[in-house]
Amino acid sequence: MSYEPLVTEFLGVTLKNPVLAASGTVGFGREYETLASLSKLGGICSKGLTLNGSLGNDGPRIYETPAGLLNSIGLENPGVGRFIKEELPFMRSLGCAVIANLGGHSEIEYIKGASLLNDAEIDILELNISCPNILDGGMAFGIDPKSAADITKKVKAKSRHPLLVKLTPNAPDLIAVAAACEEAGADGLSLVNTFLGMAIDTKLRKPVFNNVYAGLSGPAIFPIALRMVHEVCKAVSIPVAGIGGIAAKEDALSFLMAGASVVQIGSMTFAAPDTMAKLVDELYDYCKLNALENIRQIVGIL
Amino acid sequence: MAVISENIEIAKGIFKMCLSGAPLGEAGQFLMLKQPDSLDPFLARPLSYCNIDKNSGTVTLVYQTIGKGTKAFSKLKQGSLMQAVGPCGRGFPLVSGNAVLIGGGIGTAPLLLLAHALRESQPERHIKVHLGFREEAYLIKEFGQYADEVSVDIGGIITDAADFSQAAAYYACGPEPMLKAAALKAEKAGAELYISLEKNMACGVGACFGCTCKTKGGNKRICKDGPVFNALEVHDVL
Ligand SMILES: Cc1cc2nc3c(=O)[nH]c(=O)nc-3n(C[C@H](O)[C@H](O)[C@H](O)COP(=O)(O)OP(=O)(O)OC[C@H]3O[C@@H](n4cnc5c(N)ncnc54)[C@H](O)[C@@H]3O)c2cc1C
Ligand SMILES: Cc1cc2nc3c(=O)[nH]c(=O)nc-3n(C[C@H](O)[C@H](O)[C@H](O)COP(=O)(O)O)c2cc1C
Ligand code: FES
Repeated sequence: MSYEPLVTEFLGVTLKNPVLAASGTVGFGREYETLASLSKLGGICSKGLTLNGSLGNDGPRIYETPAGLLNSIGLENPGVGRFIKEELPFMRSLGCAVIANLGGHSEIEYIKGASLLNDAEIDILELNISCPNILDGGMAFGIDPKSAADITKKVKAKSRHPLLVKLTPNAPDLIAVAAACEEAGADGLSLVNTFLGMAIDTKLRKPVFNNVYAGLSGPAIFPIALRMVHEVCKAVSIPVAGIGGIAAKEDALSFLMAGASVVQIGSMTFAAPDTMAKLVDELYDYCKLNALENIRQIVGIL
Repeated sequence: MAVISENIEIAKGIFKMCLSGAPLGEAGQFLMLKQPDSLDPFLARPLSYCNIDKNSGTVTLVYQTIGKGTKAFSKLKQGSLMQAVGPCGRGFPLVSGNAVLIGGGIGTAPLLLLAHALRESQPERHIKVHLGFREEAYLIKEFGQYADEVSVDIGGIITDAADFSQAAAYYACGPEPMLKAAALKAEKAGAELYISLEKNMACGVGACFGCTCKTKGGNKRICKDGPVFNALEVHDVL
């Protein structure tokens, strides 16, 4: 038998490995197909979709910070329908799992979007109730346990796909939100989305972003994300995808040891496009070196 | 990974960096450059091809030190490694006939390779270059290799000097007010003008939607669908 220590079952889907590309950082796969060797990964998450698409936010959208960046994209996307027609066939052709990330401004928009995705061959639906960059909806659903549970339950009832609920670290009581989503029927949780941050243009004496606040990601957030994943993994029994600031093998291993079954890499792909592919190789070597039958043997050991 | 073969100051705060082993591209396209393994600065910096020696495979970049990233670049020594992703974006179309190039400040950098390419693609055409600088001029001699006329202005308004009634195509790169002035003059004269836009970038390859701008044809990613646009397409947003 061949040695396949990275094969991972996640929400009933068999992944080649536990390394996934985080939503919003690889678009729909085309641009990074070769640069980031996407077909080598366990899966890729689409850019956040909304039912009818969106042009995104005006003004500056990217601002570099120490070891990270603030973004205020505002879910620019072609809409669920065009995603299915124009982007999904390509994503499918990559030969890794396809996760559709679904955002929304209202309950009805989420539900309609999820229903439309029932016609699509995706492996997992990632419910984004954590986008800090749209003014109504988005993160508002993920801040409060009751509204998070509500939307989770309604989408779960409508969707035929395994449901991964993506949480925001900006929730005052993240563990309560996580537990409420589990209770409401989520098949898994992914965290963290970006931390609300701010930048000021001191020359112009005004905020850099039109929305004033924006989402912080990258290595700068790693230790906080790790703590949050650890806390949530202790509190729930559904699988967790660990996200936030992964730059190298040690970071990914830390998330797995803290209890995440898989990891998603976001911002680091911008800095070094081969990060995820390299990580797959390094995790393989790690298993071999440590005589692990499967990487899952280190999941949640802490 | 590319290797730095030269990195010298050619004017105050203006550096020339030569790379071997970097991907080659066309005039107006750019590279996303970063020192490998550095988490701070975190993102790669977009720099345009300033010239390319196809025989030796050497890429020349000319950059101004602005902040953290470009200041760190300026300290790198010969032999240092550089991560270079590219060629990124769509460059300048080489319109047949006489050409006028208008560069302001560091915006002159990509125009050098453009002049080179225009000359190579049509040796008999007339190429006129207007270069404007705030204090100190640079790259003038290099432009002389390819252009028929090079006019240099220090401290003035460069678009005032350009005549938009003669050439087959006009190309501009520089600060936004300069591009705006050029776009207005070109529109009035019915001239074909291509401009190169800038916006902060994260990926540089079209994946993050971090650099979109509004155009007549809808949202466009400056890093992928640009950075060069027909001025008519974008001049409302300038
Ligand atoms: C397509 C393109 C081609 C370019 N070509 C050249 C060139 O050939 N020579 C040259 O000197 N400069 C060029 N620039 C501008 C250059 O990228 C910026 O000056 C540089 O990124 C500044 O980085 P910094 O760390 O020194 O400044 P900081 O202000 O510390 O940078 C902070 C962040 O803002 C971004 N940023 C700051 N200014 C700009 C800008 N004008 N455009 C885009 N991002 C910016 C940086 O990339 C970084 O992410 C180009 C920009 C673009 C978009
Ligand atoms: C430019 C950018 C765009 C993003 N877009 C989305 C999105 O559309 N949907 C989503 O759920 N998360 C989005 N995210 C969040 C990431 O998926 C990820 O949760 C976050 O960046 C933390 O991981 P990182 O530190 O590895 O980047 C985006 C992040 C960035 C930097
Ligand atoms: S910088 Fe990412 S799309 Fe242009």
